[in-house]
Amino acid sequence: MLRRLKHPLLWGALALSLSATLYQAAALYRVQHDNDLISQLTAGQAVDIGPIVTGPPELRLARAYYFKQKHRYDEALSTLSLIVGLGDPQFQALVRYNLGNLYLEQAVTASHEQHINTAAPLAGLAKQAYRQSLALDSSNWDAKYNLEVAMRLLPEMDVLIQAEDSNKNQKTQLWTTVPGFPRGLP
Amino acid sequence: MRILFVLFLFVLGCSSSVDEPIRYFKVETPRPFGYVNGDEISQRIIFETRPGISLERASLPGKGPLNRWLNLNDIRVSQADDQHYQIDLRYQIFYAPLEVKALTLPSFELQLNQGEQHLSQTVPAWTFTLSPLRELVVRQTEQGEYMRPDSPPPLLNTRPALYGLLASVVTALALAVALAWQYGYLAFNGRRRLFKKALRTVSGISKNEMATGLQALHHCLNTLNGQPLFVHQLADFYQRHPHYQALHAQWLWFFNYSNRFYFSPGMTVVSGDIQQLKTLCQLARSIERGSR
Repeated sequence: MLRRLKHPLLWGALALSLSATLYQAAALYRVQHDNDLISQLTAGQAVDIGPIVTGPPELRLARAYYFKQKHRYDEALSTLSLIVGLGDPQFQALVRYNLGNLYLEQAVTASHEQHINTAAPLAGLAKQAYRQSLALDSSNWDAKYNLEVAMRLLPEMDVLIQAEDSNKNQKTQLWTTVPGFPRGLP
Repeated sequence: MRILFVLFLFVLGCSSSVDEPIRYFKVETPRPFGYVNGDEISQRIIFETRPGISLERASLPGKGPLNRWLNLNDIRVSQADDQHYQIDLRYQIFYAPLEVKALTLPSFELQLNQGEQHLSQTVPAWTFTLSPLRELVVRQTEQGEYMRPDSPPPLLNTRPALYGLLASVVTALALAVALAWQYGYLAFNGRRRLFKKALRTVSGISKNEMATGLQALHHCLNTLNGQPLFVHQLADFYQRHPHYQALHAQWLWFFNYSNRFYFSPGMTVVSGDIQQLKTLCQLARSIERGSR
């Protein structure tokens, strides 16, 4: 019985392995092609958006990198926001680091132009992105450095938090002192 | 002697070690200096409780931010047995000091249960120093504040697809070789091609060339057998080549026919004989290549 099945089984297995060979060859070609696109985007060359939409998140990261190089921050932000949370922790850390850089660069520009109201929330977002990146990969020295840049950029951020705390304290004090409020007043 | 014994009992009674909930307690910490913003600090607490006392796991600090600059990224409790505990904590610092600054990991209480009684053990605070990464007077670039550039996007890993391709190619080749072996296409595999050659010979013979066909088939059987094969040796032949026993009736016909052809004068070959010989050859060939 087995002897009779041997030939059909061998032919079947051969057909399967040939199909697998074709599939793997196509997969390898796709990966090589995607890597070419990533290299082009990294070098600052525009590419067709079609393969990026259907491609892996690395392609979107490369596209965001390209937009950032061209100072097209809004497009870079919308591209990065599509891939936050995708991929392995290492990749996610990288995406969040680049996202932090995107916010920080705008915050630095805004602070130089004395637009503090714009710079403060951007620096806050940058800090948040760097913290998330470092929580995923604490060995990224660039993220550590830029987090420190963001933390020093607007030192009043800490002051604001302290002010908030003191407000809370004041409120608490107010509540406790309300009963005595009429003292010395009409 | 009695006085000594009473004194011993007195000392034993005064000793508090019997009542302490924890027999052994140790906090292992790394170096207390040289940390920077974003670094992780691991802390390990090892302790052994008295029998009947267990750790209240809900009393442990939860993951997440503990204060403005300190996060607890991970906490793991492992237990060698009912009394031996190990708690691994992984803190992360987010603080940008202007100069080397001493910070403290906060202390916390480990809650222990003994029946309905609650006991506690303090994990002490731990002080370490944190250093800045940037100079006080920050250098400026053309773009303004110096900052580290973006990470270039990583290239996709080609290895999985490459290894997959190699594996499938090797498998396909191995299967192709196996099939070639089965069909007798491999040059070094002469025994797999005996009936294939014989079939080629028998397919082209006419009535006058019956001797050629018979010789071809005898040659196959003799080669397989390792010596000339006669009809009375068939049982022995089947023991070494059991697959050919399926054609026992046809082999008997073949030997009888061959006998008559060579030793009976006036034997006439008809086209049916050639056809039968051809069929036998085809069947033997299918056994040879493993199809039957």
